[in-house]
Amino acid sequence: MKRILIIIGKIIVRLLHLMKRNAGNLPGIILWHLSGHKAVSMFKVDCPIIAVTGTNGKTSVTNCIAQLFEGSGKKIITNREGNNLDTGICSLLLRHCDMKGRVNADYLILETDESHVPVVYSQLKLDTLVVLNFFRDQLDRNGEMETLIQKINGFCKTFSGNLILNGDDPNTARLGKANPANRNVKYFHAEPYAFATEKAFEASEGRFCPFCGEALDYEYYQYSHIGKFICKKCGFGSYEPYITAENIDLEKPVFTADGHEYSPKLNSIYNVYNMTAVAAAAKLYNIDQKVTDSVISTYTVNNGRMEKFMLGDRDTTLNLAKNPVGANMTLRVMNEMKGEKELLFVLNDNVADGLDVSWIWDINFSVFERVTRVVTSGTRAYDIAVRIKNSGYPAEKIVVCPDLDKSVEELAVTPGKKFVIANYTAVQPTRAALKRFIAGNGGNSQ
Amino acid sequence: MKILKILHMYADMLDLYGDSGNMEILEYRCRMRGIECETDHYSVDSEMPDFLSYDLIYIGGGADLEQQHIAADLLRCRAGIEKAYRDGVFLFLICGGYQLMGKYYRDADGNDIPGLGLFGYHTIAPESRKKRCIGNIVIRTEITGKAVDIVGFENHGGQTMGVKTPFGKVLYGNGNCSKSEAEGYFEKNVIATYLHGPCLAKNPEISDYMISYCLNRSADPPVELQPLDDSLEKKCRKVMLDRLINKYRQ
Ligand SMILES: [Zn+2]
Repeated sequence: MKRILIIIGKIIVRLLHLMKRNAGNLPGIILWHLSGHKAVSMFKVDCPIIAVTGTNGKTSVTNCIAQLFEGSGKKIITNREGNNLDTGICSLLLRHCDMKGRVNADYLILETDESHVPVVYSQLKLDTLVVLNFFRDQLDRNGEMETLIQKINGFCKTFSGNLILNGDDPNTARLGKANPANRNVKYFHAEPYAFATEKAFEASEGRFCPFCGEALDYEYYQYSHIGKFICKKCGFGSYEPYITAENIDLEKPVFTADGHEYSPKLNSIYNVYNMTAVAAAAKLYNIDQKVTDSVISTYTVNNGRMEKFMLGDRDTTLNLAKNPVGANMTLRVMNEMKGEKELLFVLNDNVADGLDVSWIWDINFSVFERVTRVVTSGTRAYDIAVRIKNSGYPAEKIVVCPDLDKSVEELAVTPGKKFVIANYTAVQPTRAALKRFIAGNGGNSQ
Repeated sequence: MKILKILHMYADMLDLYGDSGNMEILEYRCRMRGIECETDHYSVDSEMPDFLSYDLIYIGGGADLEQQHIAADLLRCRAGIEKAYRDGVFLFLICGGYQLMGKYYRDADGNDIPGLGLFGYHTIAPESRKKRCIGNIVIRTEITGKAVDIVGFENHGGQTMGVKTPFGKVLYGNGNCSKSEAEGYFEKNVIATYLHGPCLAKNPEISDYMISYCLNRSADPPVELQPLDDSLEKKCRKVMLDRLINKYRQ
């Protein structure tokens, strides 16, 4: 039966290929139905599998870990395009397996959607699970966050492989206690950076100890609910870090981990956490220090994540924000930047955005520093304008342009620095609009 | 000048879909008119507040788990909240807050979580956790004396039954039960609703109804609210009304 399914799947992949169609998800969806919802159970994988999950940063960390092994001369298979559900992983393996379903590689590095971790890895043996963070995201699809954590926690109860956890996120760190017999739990941690605060700065969840219900005590918050916490009642939060990021200086940017200095390209605390997770994986798999250096110091993304453009001579930075944490982080980077700037916020409410846009009310706009004007765009251009207005920002400095091209033109009318925030389905159209403007008016994109 | 006093309950636990934004909006609309506004917070196991000393008590919505946690604590406050309500303190309740003021909430496993029983309705969660009323919602309310169509976002499993005086009539979406005609619960000093979004974001008339009510509890002669420029809010609502409703009318 499995053999037949593999053959059917391969034929579908071939057909889609001949039709010049993207085979990213469809073959997996068909096999999911044919296999009684066990789309990945038919594959035979003998090499170690490393999975990366969490709300934010999965794609970056997966790509970096993949580069660690590639740079070490290993044959890897990875879902670079981010098809991270069981059906997407099935499609990926279909493309790389032989007719018997055997997958031939040294390592599989798989970005995996939070809700699909138990599904996929009850069918495939997992060597290492990296969990970055849990934030409110797309509640519509996943149900509520606690349910999601419970699901992964359930998986961790019987998992005895390596567990690399963000020790500064209580939602993540709690997974380390799911299986007391697992000796392979490793926490990564970061010392406070210049903008760490004593009080929570943004709306955040996870303020109570998941084990005893006591309010958690924070020594400092880095962003949202990420920071050094402890439960004074039951001790949750006291652990020996496997790896610690210290001496974080985002102006340069530079940080040290395990006594080694790294100079990443991206200057957010966000990225420091992601790269510390990468360094933890490198340590675990004994990756050559030179390879790790080169991955961490060259990693950058040109897909709307802190992407630079010049609109004529206007220095412009675009960043994706698909949830309040991402948006708050971006505002933080914008505020930490010297001088005056203008903001364009593009907000869509398409299906992939989760339809609802109320998460914008969890963004803390009252912290605006030297923001001289705001332009809003997208299918919910007015919603974000109303949101920003109610934070106390002067309404007369807000310009609403639902049409994306018009909004970019409007942004470029005045001189000076520009910042652009776009949510999930808005980011690619926004990049395209910026590039159209540049094509017509000069400037450049990286 | 009177100070408007708000008690925001369980803000740290009940804050789904921007519910805390409602408080930001009320405070903003007071501030723009020079009305002083003070918000206190109460959460599980805090010292019992003097409910009677407030003009408005606000409770948002939360995940089911948090809600159960809160139900027990809320019962502790029952006498105080009931007294305040009888005295004319405004109750503004969203989703979970709405459900917990009724007689009971029957969860998906059939267990009854007792509510405060201030109002005669009750809520039953469907056995399947997947059956939820989710999406944009438009209701027509006449609480201000004029018909106003207001837009929000609903996401609830619970089906609320036995409401005699709803907040509004459903024009698009589900309301109290799946595909129902009525949404929420209303009395002159109570707005209880499933609308998130937050509820007040594009519906300034509702904010002003509450502010005006609170100011006029003790004012003599009555205070008239100074109008604000709500063109952004109204445009925002119109975009959604055009998208959700008007296209069907044409
Ligand atoms: Zn504890």
